[in-house]
Amino acid sequence: MIISLPELRKSFERVGYICDESTVLTVFLALELQKPLLIEGAPGVGKTEMGKVLAEILQASLIRLQCYEGLDETKALYEWNYQRQLLRIQMNRSLKETQIREEDLFSDQYLLERPLLKAIRSEDTAVLLIDEVDKCDPEFEAFLFEVLSDFQVSIPEMGTIPAKKIPVVILTSNNERELSDGLKRRCLYLYLDFPDVEKEVRIIKAKVPGIAERLAWETARVVARLRQQPDLRKKPSIAETLDWARALVSLNHSRLDGRLVADTLNLVLKTRADQQLFRQEIGVEGIERILQQSGNGGEVCKCR
Amino acid sequence: MPLTEKIPELYLEENLALFAGLLRQEGLPVGTIEMIDALRSLQKIDFSSRKDFKVALQATLVKSRRDQTTFSRIFDHFFVPAEQHRHRADQVAEQQEAFARKLKQAALDLQFKGETLQLNLQELRQYSDLSSEQRSRLQDFVQKTEAGNKVEPHFRSILETTVKSHLRYCRSKDEQNSRGAPDTSNGNGAGSGGSKDDCLRETDIEAITAADLPAAEQLLQRLSRKLAVQILRRRRSGSHSGPLDLRRSMRDNMRFGGIIFNLKYKPKRRSKQQILLLCDVSASMKHYSTFVIHFMHGLHEVVRDLSCFSFSDNLEDLTAELKGRSDLKHLLDRVIRHSKIWGGGTNIGSALRILGENYPDRLNTKTTVIVVSDTKTVAVDSMVKELQRFKDRVRRVIWLNPLQVERWPDYRSVGLVGAVVEMWPCSTIAQLEEVLIGRL
Repeated sequence: MIISLPELRKSFERVGYICDESTVLTVFLALELQKPLLIEGAPGVGKTEMGKVLAEILQASLIRLQCYEGLDETKALYEWNYQRQLLRIQMNRSLKETQIREEDLFSDQYLLERPLLKAIRSEDTAVLLIDEVDKCDPEFEAFLFEVLSDFQVSIPEMGTIPAKKIPVVILTSNNERELSDGLKRRCLYLYLDFPDVEKEVRIIKAKVPGIAERLAWETARVVARLRQQPDLRKKPSIAETLDWARALVSLNHSRLDGRLVADTLNLVLKTRADQQLFRQEIGVEGIERILQQSGNGGEVCKCR
Repeated sequence: MPLTEKIPELYLEENLALFAGLLRQEGLPVGTIEMIDALRSLQKIDFSSRKDFKVALQATLVKSRRDQTTFSRIFDHFFVPAEQHRHRADQVAEQQEAFARKLKQAALDLQFKGETLQLNLQELRQYSDLSSEQRSRLQDFVQKTEAGNKVEPHFRSILETTVKSHLRYCRSKDEQNSRGAPDTSNGNGAGSGGSKDDCLRETDIEAITAADLPAAEQLLQRLSRKLAVQILRRRRSGSHSGPLDLRRSMRDNMRFGGIIFNLKYKPKRRSKQQILLLCDVSASMKHYSTFVIHFMHGLHEVVRDLSCFSFSDNLEDLTAELKGRSDLKHLLDRVIRHSKIWGGGTNIGSALRILGENYPDRLNTKTTVIVVSDTKTVAVDSMVKELQRFKDRVRRVIWLNPLQVERWPDYRSVGLVGAVVEMWPCSTIAQLEEVLIGRL
């Protein structure tokens, strides 16, 4: 599907994926150049969401390959349906039919398609999301090269299968380990960072309907402050911000206060150590100060 | 980029090639494929917009976040309006003229019997970079030698050697001072223009100042956690990850009349990785050792199966200390103040022998040993033999050398150790991270 840059920009807004201009342009280039897009960034900044959103925008099917240690080609590419092949041989023997040929046993009906093969053989454009590629083994990473550069796969019994329609490939990585140069070379690169307060407010307003303007700003400011805390084991992600905002809305709150933040903290900070750190380093008073700044029309707050 | 006096008229492709060359010089892996992608991407955008032009090049030429900072810095310097480019070229021409004048003056200053001393360009440059006081002191010395009694012609070579030695001394002193001083330069050097953490990651550990110590400790804590995730990550193996188990397959398929219908596989053997950290705390390693102990502490909080030792000419087991006390302050106090080996001489061979003799249970084929040392030791040859024996007892030995790579050829021991075990530079936190996350 051919899509222009302004159309892509509008589509992102339409589906509620708030991102900056450079992200839109990078995605546009990946689509235009038909290159895989490698997205890196902290957990919860919207890397996986990008794949889903692109499938929606391009009206393509989303084929997802979740990577993990020990993932091999039988789980990612294809596997022969061994039991079915055996049954065929047995049936053939008992019915005393003519001898079956090897090609019959290694045909499409005995092939179990896995995500990579599914994407390659898809009749329509598909979005192939290879999620958390940093979690798979380096050997599997090397195995991906053929798919990523030539959009084809090789099955010894069937030969090389080129893509019917080149899929849109999105790879995500949490940067747990350095990916090989070979893999990076085959991809365009995009780093997604946590959004600034203004952008996060836009995200909250897009994803949490009915939220009060003031609450959206205060939530974003508090989350931004938490992310600045250096010793935090896990910084709150956008998904956590949204969960928190939804919870606050369902509790009928239209503004934050220190007490409320402390009471609902477990929605944003997910480890005991981080919650303790919050109490020691920021506390209810710290939150009150942040909220006061935004109430006084601080740097970026536009709440009324 | 060496700016020429006249600005050459270049096509976009040539400019991009020059730009890619600069990126490569800074260590970015920009190959032909990236260049082709960059040119193709420029055809797809309106590159009259500087911002879009930059994004397009960044998406195609840069492959990691760390490199984005370097890219941005070089891009901002390289792609400038023609006016600014001309201005810069004029400035460079002026600087070159001034430099030529300085060299000429240096040649005049350092003369013996009417002839300039045989100094190379770098030495003449060093001389001209000296303070006026240092220069006049050196001139005085040359003149006094020339004016002395019974001045023989062979004095020239002695004088040259003395001047060269003095210049070398001045240079090493300057280097020491610059390492000790906090870096206040802007836009110069690795990591500049990035966040404070990025700069700190790229800073030589030896040059980290007391003010930056808390931030560096936090970086190390984060690195420990990252490493722990890698070591402890749960394996989710495939349904038949091991080799085919014929016996179980036969037994399971008896009900199908002996036809092997369901295949059974042996489970994949998982060996738990044991880590043994060996940290050199001798005098030459003092500064690094404190950092490694921070790292040890952070790692121990998240990885249980960790043994830690410090060594110089002897060995001390810190594992119990780490298990007993979670407070870093106590650990540092124990390791630094109450240690009998802190800041001593180094005998790595002896320390390895003691480790093998006294702690045989810690060394087995599951153990990965990480040694942090600059390899400076007495009895180098016997150390190498001991290291070879030691290596055979464990799964893997990774040697982290905090000496800067350029200085490795100066030490024979570095080459000898590097031939026996894998050695990686770790003079910065970024290098330490690269080795531990990427190689372990």
